[in-house]
Amino acid sequence: MAALGPTPFWSLLLLLAGGGCAARWAGEGTNRHLRTIFLGRCQEYLELLSLEQRDKNCTAIWEAFSVVLDKDPCSVLPSDYDLFINLSRHSIPRDKSLFWENNHLLVTSYSENARRLMPLCDVLYGRVGDFLSWCRQKNASGLDYESCPTAADCENNPVDSYWKRASIQYSRDSSGVIYVMLNGSDPNGAYPVKGFFADYEIPFLQKDKITRIEVWVMHDIGRPNVESCGEGTVKILENRLKDMGFQFSCINDYLPVKLLACVDHSSHPDCALNSAATSTQRAISFRFKAQGAILVIPFLLPLVSGVHL
Amino acid sequence: MEGLDLSASEPRTEEEKGPPLLGSGDPAGARASPSESSSGQRRRRRRLILLISLALLVLVVIVTLVAGILWRRSQRQQLLHWQGSGTTDSISEIILGRCFTYTRLKRPELRDKNCPEIWNAFKTAFLFKDQCNITEADYQPLEKLANQTLPCNKFLYWSKTYTLVHQYTMVEQDMFTLEDTLLGYMADGLDWCGDPGSSAMNHQSCPHWKKDCSNNPKSAFWKMASKWFAEAACGVVHVMLNGSTGKAAFQHTSTFGSVEIPNLHPDRVPLLEAWVMHDIGGNSSDSCSGASIHELRSLLNKRNIILMCEDDYKPAKLVQCVSHSEHSSCALT
Repeated sequence: MAALGPTPFWSLLLLLAGGGCAARWAGEGTNRHLRTIFLGRCQEYLELLSLEQRDKNCTAIWEAFSVVLDKDPCSVLPSDYDLFINLSRHSIPRDKSLFWENNHLLVTSYSENARRLMPLCDVLYGRVGDFLSWCRQKNASGLDYESCPTAADCENNPVDSYWKRASIQYSRDSSGVIYVMLNGSDPNGAYPVKGFFADYEIPFLQKDKITRIEVWVMHDIGRPNVESCGEGTVKILENRLKDMGFQFSCINDYLPVKLLACVDHSSHPDCALNSAATSTQRAISFRFKAQGAILVIPFLLPLVSGVHL
Repeated sequence: MEGLDLSASEPRTEEEKGPPLLGSGDPAGARASPSESSSGQRRRRRRLILLISLALLVLVVIVTLVAGILWRRSQRQQLLHWQGSGTTDSISEIILGRCFTYTRLKRPELRDKNCPEIWNAFKTAFLFKDQCNITEADYQPLEKLANQTLPCNKFLYWSKTYTLVHQYTMVEQDMFTLEDTLLGYMADGLDWCGDPGSSAMNHQSCPHWKKDCSNNPKSAFWKMASKWFAEAACGVVHVMLNGSTGKAAFQHTSTFGSVEIPNLHPDRVPLLEAWVMHDIGGNSSDSCSGASIHELRSLLNKRNIILMCEDDYKPAKLVQCVSHSEHSSCALT
């Protein structure tokens, strides 16, 4: 496009050409190199699994997944991923499941690549699709790299159906103590009554395999406290789970996760550690932030190294 | 080789034994007797036995040949057996996948990077060559292709703090360790090597840095990458050191001391901020007031770089506390 030059004529032509060929969806287009990223993640993930679970064929898993790339992007059902799930499924250790809404980064940091907990993005069939987007073109074969439909465009789109199917499986395979991380600073409430957790995870929890459910309502450091345990949508969630017969408990700002959230806000009063970290430093060093240090450098350098101006 | 010759000589001797059978058959056939039909039958039977014996012989020869070849191959493999782990399985898919993930998802400003070309440059650095003679020079094409500009004041070095420093940059995403750059991200945690005169990776074993040789593909890569990461630094740089190893926090034989510090440019890097971390509830074998930090300060002073030091840098300590939330030093006010 750069070679054609920025003249109005060419721009108009391109605009018309673009408008005529591709459907405009609300979501991100298919990732280029989708297959390579998918296979690389799959292979890497297998190293994390125990030897008995490692006999999976990433190429076959990709082949099963890619059947949806031949389908109309508004006609992809969760069941279209059944074979993909069958081939990539593996057990989830007891007491390691973590469900969540509205705090992806904190969840990923806390779970530490399945070392501490195993949220869906740390399970093979969740890992391969994480942050990716894919769909066939509307009226032609071949992938659409410009845009892909979201729920706003049509319900049965490839990406949403994938996460629905993956969420269902994840729920079915979870056991022991179930942890749920919610965001109590979200203006719409901590528990979205319509969402993946509400519609595709809770209904598929297996009562006979689950001992209890523990909810952590986290609040963003320095942001308003919209809801806490026992309030608003959290109360709705509590009632729903109890009616289903689950043992329920709730913790506000579960400490280990709060400590993690504090890393990025270490000078905030909510993040003050009880023990003062005493820094023993030599006479020449001063204690102040790095940014402040830069201002002092021009004055310090002559002291330390003689005059080099 | 000898086994092969022995087995090759056997059939010959056995074949030599063959004809006498036929020869001994003749006297029996030459006897003219009333039971000529039965002797004919006996002749046919003997011929059949002979044929079967020959067939079995050929089978034995084939089996011995195959066994000999396989044995030779295993001998050769044992000759090239190193003390370190072999090349990681599916390394090409892993590295290519990581390259695309990094350049298209994590740092989209690098989307023009050519990942297949990068993978090729990685391979050609060490395939076909003597695996104990690989140096940074072999990785120059890769270094050039995978180069990237990083923001000043965001460089984070580390020594004996692998787990903690990466837990920290997982949360603090605008700080970069070498493993958060394209070069480091692609190779982190993997093993690789080839064989002289072969286009294949060696999946059995690779040279161990200490027990075999230090100029091996993996060590040369990390030396090249560490040097690049130090040369690229600008602004205030940081290092996370371990004050609970039982030894000195700063060791000039470490990669940080021997490769990274010497390659920092004083005209771009006026200040190094060291964080000496200690295990929660653990022993303190060194700290900012210790001798090794004093040594580090002198080293840097000679190069016109100022050192600042802080024990248990708070944001990093908070990361440690996530796993020790019940410890008294992790209580929030």
